[in-house]
Amino acid sequence: MGSKFGMAGGIPERRVRPIWDAIDSRQFKTALKSSATLLSKFPNSPYALALKALILERMGKSEEALSVCLRAKELLYTNDSILMDDLTLSTLQIVFQRLDHLDLATSCYEHACGKFPNNLELMMGLFNCYVREYSFVKQQQTAIKMYKIVGEERFLLWAVCSIQLQVLCGNGGEKLLLLAEGLLKKHIASHSLHEPEALIVYISILEQQDKYGDAFEILSGKLGSLLMIEVDKLRIQGRLLARAGDYAAAASIFQKILELCPDDWECFLHYLSCLLEDDSSWCNGAISDPIHPPKCVNCKFSHLTDELFDSRISDASAFVQKLQAEANNDCARGPYLANLEIERRKHLFGKGDDDKLLEALMQYFFRFGHLACFTSDVEVFFQVLTPGKKMELVEKIMKRCDSDSHSTVPTKVLGQSITLFKVQEEIGNVFKVPVSEIEGSAVKMAEIYCKNLPLSKDLDPQESMHGEDLLSMACNALVQLFWRTRDLGYLLEAIMTLEFGLTIRRYVWQYKILLLHLYSHLGALSAAYEWYKSLEVKNILLETVSHHILPQMLISPLWVDLNNLLKDYLKFMDDHFRESADLTFLAYRHRNYSKVIEFVQFKERLQHSNQYLLARLEAPILQLKQNADNIEEEEGILDSLKCGVHFLELSSEIGCKSLTFNEDLQSRPWWTPTSEKNYLLGPFEGISYRPTENLTKERETNVRTVVEGRSLLPRMVYLSIHCASASLKENIETNGSTSNTATSSELKFLLERYARILGYTFSDAIEVVLGVSSGRKSSEAFSSDIVDWVTFAVFLNAWNLNSHELGLPYGDGCKPGTWHIVDSLLEKYIREKVRSMGPLICSPGSDLPVLVQLVTEPLAWHGLVIQSCIRSSVPTGKKKKKSGSADQSHSPLSHAIRDSIQSLCGTLEEVTEMVERTDQQVRE
Amino acid sequence: MTTIRRFCCNDLLRFTSVNLDHLTETFNMSFYMTYLARWPDYFHVAEAPGNRIMGYIMGKVEGQGESWHGHVTAVTVAPEYRRQQLAKKLMNLLEDISDKIDKAYFVDLFVRASNMPAIKMYEKLGYVIYRRVLRYYSGEEDGLDMRKALSRDVEKKSMIPLKRPVTPDELDLQY
Repeated sequence: MGSKFGMAGGIPERRVRPIWDAIDSRQFKTALKSSATLLSKFPNSPYALALKALILERMGKSEEALSVCLRAKELLYTNDSILMDDLTLSTLQIVFQRLDHLDLATSCYEHACGKFPNNLELMMGLFNCYVREYSFVKQQQTAIKMYKIVGEERFLLWAVCSIQLQVLCGNGGEKLLLLAEGLLKKHIASHSLHEPEALIVYISILEQQDKYGDAFEILSGKLGSLLMIEVDKLRIQGRLLARAGDYAAAASIFQKILELCPDDWECFLHYLSCLLEDDSSWCNGAISDPIHPPKCVNCKFSHLTDELFDSRISDASAFVQKLQAEANNDCARGPYLANLEIERRKHLFGKGDDDKLLEALMQYFFRFGHLACFTSDVEVFFQVLTPGKKMELVEKIMKRCDSDSHSTVPTKVLGQSITLFKVQEEIGNVFKVPVSEIEGSAVKMAEIYCKNLPLSKDLDPQESMHGEDLLSMACNALVQLFWRTRDLGYLLEAIMTLEFGLTIRRYVWQYKILLLHLYSHLGALSAAYEWYKSLEVKNILLETVSHHILPQMLISPLWVDLNNLLKDYLKFMDDHFRESADLTFLAYRHRNYSKVIEFVQFKERLQHSNQYLLARLEAPILQLKQNADNIEEEEGILDSLKCGVHFLELSSEIGCKSLTFNEDLQSRPWWTPTSEKNYLLGPFEGISYRPTENLTKERETNVRTVVEGRSLLPRMVYLSIHCASASLKENIETNGSTSNTATSSELKFLLERYARILGYTFSDAIEVVLGVSSGRKSSEAFSSDIVDWVTFAVFLNAWNLNSHELGLPYGDGCKPGTWHIVDSLLEKYIREKVRSMGPLICSPGSDLPVLVQLVTEPLAWHGLVIQSCIRSSVPTGKKKKKSGSADQSHSPLSHAIRDSIQSLCGTLEEVTEMVERTDQQVRE
Repeated sequence: MTTIRRFCCNDLLRFTSVNLDHLTETFNMSFYMTYLARWPDYFHVAEAPGNRIMGYIMGKVEGQGESWHGHVTAVTVAPEYRRQQLAKKLMNLLEDISDKIDKAYFVDLFVRASNMPAIKMYEKLGYVIYRRVLRYYSGEEDGLDMRKALSRDVEKKSMIPLKRPVTPDELDLQY
């Protein structure tokens, strides 16, 4: 913290150091005391004030801290003789940032830089402020100024990165890239380049403008020597040549890389693509989703003549033979897998030979079949085989396995038998064989597992053991049997198998994930959540792994656990957004420019996460659910949520942005490839085991609908409470105010939107609700959206209390308006669910979540409407008495409310009885 | 059949199956990103066909004078891809970068004194136990500081084991 001549912020360092020491050791009281002494000596020192503010902020006294900071800022602005150094400003900056006032820190630096235009240190501080604000244009301007002052390469690159960010993440046009290129060219002409990362950025600027030839030339020239790792340079060169369409040259570069790294699979694919003049992997948008890249590259080479294709393929084969001959260790799978890829391409060109592919697969099996990754390695090659050929492959492997059991290493024999099971699972064979056969193989898997336990006796209990996959596969088979037969016993056996596995080895995450989904399906969510917790999901895994449990928890009554889940997740994300800019600046400082771009893009990716969006909505909705029994508390929460307005903005905000899906779906069980799908709920039909590749589009539409509906909720709750109370006051005072009209028309507007989400116009939606509640229409009109429809009815009633637009007849004589619609719908559906509910254990995939939602959402919201009515109708204080309000207790509205309360009580009693009954069953 | 390339942020969203493993720590974001921002050449990932993440290595280069060295912070391989010498490949890469690009004297790493499988693996890769660090892991378990000399340390001075164990405080003083 010291600076020149033992001074810090214009104060002798010996006076400041004890304060910093106290802060560092969290002795804030001591620090504050020393700071007071310091201020008595230097009352007008902005640095001394900044220190005080820092201490106050750490003590949690935000407001005091802010006012001290503002005083320091004022001094900086008004007193010309005051020292304005980076130490003072950066200390202020820390406090302003923690107080969420980045803008104030920026204006301090802006002011300082205006006063001392050539002070590099201050300008770096200002640049840092703009990095924190993601103001790319201002970053660029500041960096250029610094570059002009000292001419250093790094400041030029800061400017170039800022330009690139404008193009990639802002609204910058591509012409800016030309500017960046020009700046770099000019600098290189006079100073050359000295940092490898600077060269990488230069290349990427050219690449973004499709100037592949220029980029290649630069890389091959003197500057190319900046890249010390030869293979890295070759990779870029190959890519540039391929993108420029010079396939022959690109192929020879990739060949060179393969000679250096024969096991580089991606490089082999590029090599082959270039030989076959196929640009699919180079086209823009070839990899549209970097998180879920396609498992295999698409291919197109229809323009090649037969002869040319044959000759190129034979070149490739010859090269692969050479690589295989030279491969001196047994672990390099690349050269062997390359043969398979060549056969696959031949297939795609229409010149495939099934027998050759089969033979190549067999060879690969005998070399690498014992490895756990065999099946995933060859997955894409199965896809070109017909079902008949796939079966033939399995039979051939089995026969060869039986006939020449040449391997005597027990772990290898075990590995091969596991692979054989996996191959059968992979090709979807298991969906066609008879039940008894599947049962048999599940038993066999478990037996092999048990028999081979001794192989792992010397392994550390935390290590993964031999044959672990067998129990996962046995579970998969048992769940399939359940799907086919609906025999619950299979599901229970699957659970017991996994629980057994976890008794042997406590840490097998694959078992835990399967188990948590099985328990979820059975409705045993607490057990599911316990296993989820044991995965110890934290940090970035919260983004990729939470999907295993979050959707179930959102519709469960486990509110405390759900609250923790949401809180931890949101904290992680928000913390990252807070610190991400500082890390970006760190990358700037360490001259790792490519990381600057990467960090900013990554932050954006997380900010657009669909899960993050949902969590931001569900966390406050959960609060509303938890407090719906007390209208005062509910109003407090609504206040803190700005009456729900913010959420309406949120949903319109995402309208124009694309959402990101960062969930790791690979780890999900086969029967639920995404959280929206669960095959076990439907009838048995064969499926391919693996989740289909691109589910993102489908999921995006779905998420948008969900988000839109949920984002309306807090505001509708708020408006409903107001409509209800206004309706009563109106009755009393008979002078409808304009604010009531506004409330009511806003609620109507939201109801119209809600109806649209349900797929209806407002008036049609009212028709549906009326029809179903009166029994004129069947419940099927609601399809699977019961909860949403009942919610619609609840808010419709609240709106109608005030607007009376629905001139409905007074129901059965005394019920005014729309109360009876809500009553009858809640009664009907909640009772229906309660009565149809058998013992939970016997009815996996039951309606319990729907029942929970009905009770905790529409019913709870309706309860709030009632509470609001009652509160407004009960005279409070003297004023009401004086006005001599007419006794409301006999009005039709009071009757309706009373009936509604009675109906709710009756419904809830049934739910309570059911819960008690279930509880007793569980105890027994 | 492994493509080894620089680790990038998006890989954080793809390494789930590696990191769910009980023995692999998932650090906080600023930890990973500090490594990426400062030592991107020391953070590599291995990919299998189908773009699956097989494993990764993260490390740094630090120290002064003859203590200038590469350090392995974490190396991990997904269960599916074990027993294929992938860890060895990743280690060799980091050693290479420390040796050729940064001209470091040695590479070191810390391992739990109880983690015999790992210690044996590192010994096979040419590392020796340089010293024991008392209660290095959360103040409980001892750590072993293992080292391998690089070409710049011609006499392999950096590898001569210390006779007595050190405390974590003494480590801090050294670099």
